[in-house]
Amino acid sequence: MILSALAAVILTTSGLSDRHYGRGAHTDTTTDVKPGTRLQIENFGGEVVVEGWSKDAVHVYAEHSARNLVEVGREGGTIRVVTSGRRGPPLTAELKVQVPRWMDVRVSGVYTDISVQGVEGEVRAETVRGDVSLLGGKSYVSLKSVEGGVTAKGTRGRIEASSVNESVKLEDVRGEISAETVNGDVALAGIVSDAVEVSTVNGNICFGGEIHDGGHYAFSTHGGDITLGIPGEPNASISVSTFNGEFESGFQAKLFEHQGRRYRLTLGKGGADITVESFEGTIHLNPGEEKCE
Amino acid sequence: MNDLLHPAPERLSEYLDGELGDRERAQVATHLQGCGDCAGAVDQLRAVKERAASLPARGPETDLWPAIEGRLKPRGATAGGRATILSPARGWRDWRVSLGLPQLAAAALALVLLGAGGLWVALERTRPSTPAATTTDRTAPDFIGPTALPADFGFVRYDGAIAALRQTLENHRDELDPTTVRIVDRNLLVIDHAIAEARRALAADPANPYLNHHLADQMQRKVNLLRQVTALIHA
Repeated sequence: MILSALAAVILTTSGLSDRHYGRGAHTDTTTDVKPGTRLQIENFGGEVVVEGWSKDAVHVYAEHSARNLVEVGREGGTIRVVTSGRRGPPLTAELKVQVPRWMDVRVSGVYTDISVQGVEGEVRAETVRGDVSLLGGKSYVSLKSVEGGVTAKGTRGRIEASSVNESVKLEDVRGEISAETVNGDVALAGIVSDAVEVSTVNGNICFGGEIHDGGHYAFSTHGGDITLGIPGEPNASISVSTFNGEFESGFQAKLFEHQGRRYRLTLGKGGADITVESFEGTIHLNPGEEKCE
Repeated sequence: MNDLLHPAPERLSEYLDGELGDRERAQVATHLQGCGDCAGAVDQLRAVKERAASLPARGPETDLWPAIEGRLKPRGATAGGRATILSPARGWRDWRVSLGLPQLAAAALALVLLGAGGLWVALERTRPSTPAATTTDRTAPDFIGPTALPADFGFVRYDGAIAALRQTLENHRDELDPTTVRIVDRNLLVIDHAIAEARRALAADPANPYLNHHLADQMQRKVNLLRQVTALIHA
């Protein structure tokens, strides 16, 4: 509890190297925390790596310019880690932060790559120009980037993943899924979920995963193809719509065609509800697992 | 009313609101018993109303409301004064929905605009298996056809709201990284392209429920992206 009572801690020691701008520096501080404490990290540029560990403490190690400050403080039930410039705008900083696995973590940045792994609390990560990646996760997860890609693997929980200009990739995820981008692909592999909603405008969609009775699955793109790989013997009512695209099904189910290139087919008892829409791409419906590589 | 003629969309909305006289209400009720399309449309209208009524009374998450509100003209002012705009402070539960059928999709968009997302999920769950009613009063300002803007509904003008968000972006363009602005512009173009294609397709097949839905999706996406960018400005 040495540092826990401090409102703000700034530990800057002399440099490891001349990184980025001028003389380099680093920050290294550990703060004990009680269960329920949250963590908020704001890093304007550079990288943030968050790792879950077994201690009830937050360890912040940062490499940055000597013209940068890395402040670690406590506000109520939240530990805040904030980078700022001593004079003028903040420069880049590389942060490695170890946190209790139970901790809720929120990371935001602008020119920042964000990586989170081994955290079982709520994870919210948002950046403008950078990639966001998550390994693990057992609670609500929100991953957002404007210009970078978003990836998650091994997540168990409700996940919302979005980009604007890059792809979204989810692998081995169990839980409700919402994934979207504008100008990129969306790939979901090894999915076990009863609620999946995927959309993009100018990209392809690939889905490989289980379909559960009573589940809802929606896939929509404007200019891309959609490939669904469904293993086993699913019970699903599938609605397919396109305007200029094509539809190919590998299932031996009777196909009902409606006016305007809309199709409906039922697999098994039709327990799940699947909607697949591509304005001008090809829709592939394949039996078996799809790896979406 | 001849049973072979579908009631105008406004009549269905008024029917749902209990605003028709006894005679006209009975006529509509009789028609609904024999017309699956109109009955389905009324169900959709009811779903929108219920969803709107269930939304929490809260304002938009950003401070863009004044700019947007200024762009939103009460359609009622030119259409008999039925519709009213409620500011967020008055609460959603008082919101009276008076929508024509083609505007259902845009209704979802408007709710997103006003900081109340999630309706789309509800609409998705209740998507019609048959086209919405095809009878439309082409003299009504809300008519969605080849020459009209499909997202112009009731008392909210989508284009006006988009313009407000656009203007906010333009006013603060210099505060954003030029590369980010370029990428945002490029993605807005991607969405605009999709919207234009969907509009053309809808003009050729106005009763296609997928195209209506798809167009509204793209418009909603544009709003979301603009809101995301303006949030960056205000961050």
